[in-house]
Amino acid sequence: MGDVELVERAEHLGRKRSQLFFVLAMVFFAGQSLYFGAPDATRDSVPRVGAWLILVCLMLLLLATGGFLLSGRKVRHLLNDESARANRVAAQAVGFWATILSLIAVYVESIFDPVTLNEAVHIVGTIGVGAALISFAVRERRAHRLG
Amino acid sequence: MAERLANRLRAEREFRGWTQAELAARVGVSRKTINTIENGVFVPSTLTALKIAESFERTVEQLFSVIEE
Repeated sequence: MGDVELVERAEHLGRKRSQLFFVLAMVFFAGQSLYFGAPDATRDSVPRVGAWLILVCLMLLLLATGGFLLSGRKVRHLLNDESARANRVAAQAVGFWATILSLIAVYVESIFDPVTLNEAVHIVGTIGVGAALISFAVRERRAHRLG
Repeated sequence: MAERLANRLRAEREFRGWTQAELAARVGVSRKTINTIENGVFVPSTLTALKIAESFERTVEQLFSVIEE
């Protein structure tokens, strides 16, 4: 594959990646309604908590690597070049602030209404990871659309 | 006073008849990176700026300049 073909392949995959990250974040947020909609007795069952933990780890891995499943070292290098890395760093900063703000919100809420540890972890984890994923997806989509 | 990095990438690229993908392939970055640099959205690293200049056989100063707004 020639260099220009590699660039075009990376371009195609980059667009797909930003769409996929956006959809994943939406699915991740939507999945939380299942958790909070479940009766208290079954809410923190091992399979439910385990599935959420696996999903969080997968999202974090995607955020940290920019798509570890993508094949081809050269294409992966182009996909994760300096503009993508800059977008990832900015998205991680958004995730950090979303985490801290949701932490403060949960803390204030707990003064008026008891919040269990599991609920707090779910809320803070979901908002932090979800916000970072959406931020990365939006930045990448915007960058692809320019010009 | 705000400062902005202006560049002549599009003019130089179009003068040579290169597409963004062709320039990206010469520099070793994605088309998106070239696109965002051309549009002034992304400020490239020194390494990338030098590689771009090398591709055009120009100096970095001939391609990039600081504008005060």
